[in-house]
Amino acid sequence: MKFVCLNCETYMNFEKVEKPGEGALGVFFGCPSCNAKFSMVTNPGETQMVSSLGVKLGGRTVAAEPFEMTRGTLKDEALAGAGQMGAYLNEKIQGGQPVASAAAPTAAKPGEKASGGCPFSAMVAEMGLTTGGKPGQTASASSEFTWTADAKEKLDRLPAFVKPMVQSSVEAYARKNGFTSITLQVMDDSKNDSPNGMTWSREAEQRLENIPDFIRPMARKEIERVAKERGLATITAQVMDETKDKFMKFM
Amino acid sequence: MAPEKDLKAILGKLKYSDDAKVVQQITEQTKQVHARMAGIKYKIAVMSGKGGVGKSMTTVNLALAFARQGGRVGLLDVDLNGPCVPRMLGLHGQSLTMTSAGAIPPVGPLGLKVASMDFFLGDASPVRWKGPMDVSPVWLGLMEMNVIREFLADVIWGELDYLLADLPPGAAADKPPVIAGFIPDLAGAIVVTTPSEVASDVVQKSVTYARDMGIKVLGIVENMSEYRCPSCGEVNELFEGNTEAMCEALDLPLLGRVPFDRKLARTFDKGQPLLDEAYPTIQRYQEIAGRIRTLLDYKKVLADKL
Repeated sequence: MKFVCLNCETYMNFEKVEKPGEGALGVFFGCPSCNAKFSMVTNPGETQMVSSLGVKLGGRTVAAEPFEMTRGTLKDEALAGAGQMGAYLNEKIQGGQPVASAAAPTAAKPGEKASGGCPFSAMVAEMGLTTGGKPGQTASASSEFTWTADAKEKLDRLPAFVKPMVQSSVEAYARKNGFTSITLQVMDDSKNDSPNGMTWSREAEQRLENIPDFIRPMARKEIERVAKERGLATITAQVMDETKDKFMKFM
Repeated sequence: MAPEKDLKAILGKLKYSDDAKVVQQITEQTKQVHARMAGIKYKIAVMSGKGGVGKSMTTVNLALAFARQGGRVGLLDVDLNGPCVPRMLGLHGQSLTMTSAGAIPPVGPLGLKVASMDFFLGDASPVRWKGPMDVSPVWLGLMEMNVIREFLADVIWGELDYLLADLPPGAAADKPPVIAGFIPDLAGAIVVTTPSEVASDVVQKSVTYARDMGIKVLGIVENMSEYRCPSCGEVNELFEGNTEAMCEALDLPLLGRVPFDRKLARTFDKGQPLLDEAYPTIQRYQEIAGRIRTLLDYKKVLADKL
């Protein structure tokens, strides 16, 4: 944070820090041009924020101790410091009224929806979302594709939590390739489809089979990255050779 | 009244100076994290979107498995509010040794170096911070992130082959993937799930969020795959999910399945962990650790087998 002296059109210099009261910091600045003095006083929350950064305003004179902030901020007693910010707000802003009253929901004005006290509910409603974050209107369950009976059966056999992801992936593949009907073959082919738009030659696919199955997805990505770097759209035996050469350097 | 000043025009003419030395200190903090982490070959985060899937049990056993395979291993318990790693390893009640050079971590079974918030807490004491944290989760979040930064910057890990970070549960706009992003040159994340559809659903979200943050997810470990009755020996499934289908959908390898093992769990509960390499469930962890090592050395595998 910096302060600008608008009269002199220059940054004010940081000068010193004092503690004017419990939970407060007084940070002093001076204009190097007109010598005007300025002090910013932080509330307990702002003081805590500076402390949480693990920095000392103005710089350190001695190196930090290990776990200085953790050890210095862990509470010794359950209630020490609790409610400090609430007390501050009560005293400074609410004029002695309980802070909680400020947060109590006010009556809805005409034309406004009652929001149940949540400050974000109106925004959420405007976005067309429910409070659960899901679309307020149910999306059309109909698909633009015709699924053959056997493909549909295979899809339905998948666990419910995986099904939408697989359906979306297969349909994206079908859309990209101009299919209107989804068959078992389309489903199988979509599994080998590269999200990078790469095509794999038969020989390249066979060589990929040499890699242990649990490492194959990572290998596929690395090989496609090599092809992409070379501006190629098809993974051939030559790309496999170049990838192998690249990784030989790590042996 | 004085004429309005154009602040944008004024700032355009000025040169910023960090005279409060805040930027300088934050830069130094980052450098210190990098310096401490420089001696560690592979840094691995263990995470799960869902709580209660056995993430800490998996992390601790993978750490022990790496150690059995000859690795020098550190274990960072990043679950600040529910640290349990020291208790599982029989280190509860010990503490970090503070020196001017940094904090020396206690050493557990098979030479594991361990750092945890538990070392700062008394019995049954939760983590409580001084100050006005009670009114703002924002400040609490900032505070916790800096505590984690101190764990990374201040612990003297020395030279390690593996540092495993046991992250707290959480899926998306929550801490775990952000914490993982804190660790410089992270080799990747291992995601733990159970075959439960509920757990798998949340785990998928955490994988997606981790990937959004550029964290390489190495694979999935399925925990509590089955349960062996200690009386009759019959093996039954605990859940009816399909982790294989989830791995296929996420394009991730299933690194292994671990049964719920009451005998093994009890030894960790008592802080006297079973370490016998020949024990069947420990064998599963050994196999998973072996696969993780292959994944970490995937470049060599590609050079060899492609």
